[in-house]
Amino acid sequence: MSNFTNVGMATAGEGKKTSLFSYRVGAIIASWAPPLITFFVVAVVWQLLAISNPFVIPTLDAIGSSLLESPQMYWANMLVTSQEIAIGAGFGILCGFLLAVIMAELPIVERAVMPLMVVIMVTPVVAIAPALVVAFGFGMMPKYIVTGLVVFFPMLVNSLAGLKDVDARALDVMRTLNASRWEIFRDLRFPGSMPFFFAGLRIALPLSVVGAAVAEFVAPGQQAGLGSLLTIAAAQANLPVTWACIVLLCVLGVVLVSALAVVRKRVLWWSDQSIVGR
Amino acid sequence: MLAEVVKQPETFAASKDSGVAVCNVCKGFGPPDAKVTVLDNVNFNIQKGEFVSVIGPSGCGKSTLLKLVAGLSEADSGSVSIDGKPVKEAARAKSIGLVPQSPALLPWRTVLDNVRLPMLVNKRSNAGRTMRDPEALLHSFGLGNAIDKFPSQLSGGMQQRVAIARAFVFDPAVMLMDEPFSALDEMNRDKQRMGLLEFWQSNRKSVMFVTHSVPEAIMLSDRIILMAAHPGRIAEIIPVDLPRPRDEAVYATDAFRDLEGYVRNSLKTVMRQVHV
Repeated sequence: MSNFTNVGMATAGEGKKTSLFSYRVGAIIASWAPPLITFFVVAVVWQLLAISNPFVIPTLDAIGSSLLESPQMYWANMLVTSQEIAIGAGFGILCGFLLAVIMAELPIVERAVMPLMVVIMVTPVVAIAPALVVAFGFGMMPKYIVTGLVVFFPMLVNSLAGLKDVDARALDVMRTLNASRWEIFRDLRFPGSMPFFFAGLRIALPLSVVGAAVAEFVAPGQQAGLGSLLTIAAAQANLPVTWACIVLLCVLGVVLVSALAVVRKRVLWWSDQSIVGR
Repeated sequence: MLAEVVKQPETFAASKDSGVAVCNVCKGFGPPDAKVTVLDNVNFNIQKGEFVSVIGPSGCGKSTLLKLVAGLSEADSGSVSIDGKPVKEAARAKSIGLVPQSPALLPWRTVLDNVRLPMLVNKRSNAGRTMRDPEALLHSFGLGNAIDKFPSQLSGGMQQRVAIARAFVFDPAVMLMDEPFSALDEMNRDKQRMGLLEFWQSNRKSVMFVTHSVPEAIMLSDRIILMAAHPGRIAEIIPVDLPRPRDEAVYATDAFRDLEGYVRNSLKTVMRQVHV
């Protein structure tokens, strides 16, 4: 039987390679073509609309040339926004996770604090931002706080769900070994919560861009940022700059989400496979 | 007659300091005014190196009983001791090996690191203990090729074997197994069961083995505890007098068949009691 297939493979070897290659290329085209076609169609429609409505939206080439004309200005503003996201969201993620750990270990804390967290979260960030400007001025602080606040809740809720979702039987094994609370956290709860933690990040990171932009709208401040640049350009009816800022905010979000996907694949490869009894 | 009466407390006293002793244990669930009794005055012991199976209809409290012996829940009254010490103390000394119903392996750890886990927690009790070499243990379980694999890469039967290795690795005095093969298909079950039997026969531990399968209980055990339900209680303790070491040939012997018939009959009686 194996001899038979070997012979078949040997004679078909040459043709098989090329057909495999063309198969791969075909598969790549098949998976990338639909979204590319969608983008292309949207771009064409956009361009047609922009040409017939020059005072509503700019043409794509106007946005492009604006970006190429003053790359330094865009880059500097993008760095400011990125810094707000890095510090604000970083702090929000950390706090959300730490509070989730405390809540998972001490249920009384969850009962005491969770309602307050919900109240804070249903309050629109856009409404909080001006109040924060009054309290902290036009510097970076209100931007960090708004960005952190937006990220905090999804991280808290997801991490908490993950920390509670332990394999009950693995927990039984740990308890018969008389493992300490810390050991159970270190070896079971913490690694087991990572799929939920990353699901939280998937929601939180795009939101962090929203948070940073909203904070800059409300308090443009001296440090600028893409959101500030956007409000100023929109006030001057400078369409290419306005839309260039929107494009860059969009790029920022895409970069964050793509980076997350890469990290997740490295850290959480195990969670996509099934395990008996789970 | 008199000699027997005198003799009994003696053997009981001797067994109290080694192995598992369950004395007058009662356990119920629910609010005090509407309590459901799950275990009603349960008494038994497992000698050092003895293999005892617990069998009975669903709802007879087998798993609850196992949880009590594992120290995962507490009896309302009565006592459970391991080697003469209360269960909590035995757990502190890492004397209990648990094999749960599902393998409950940690998917982010390799097979070897899963088996090592018991050595890495509650380290204080590691002093003066002879640990088994995890790699050698896995080899003897026929998992030599799986050492660096992850649980998701193994079949269900292999995963359950890893879970058993994890319980044997720190050489506990007592092994508790809660229907460890129930998730496997019948052929795989038989293979895993014979593997466990072979390993246990050369590494005798006190074992409490909860099962649904009559042949499994007979093949593995020295004694079978037959439980009745509503409330959960011991109906009968059946000694299994088949010679050891046992192997597949035992299935075909008359002694095995007679015993199987007897156990099935007793089970039937117990089940009938429930319906009346």
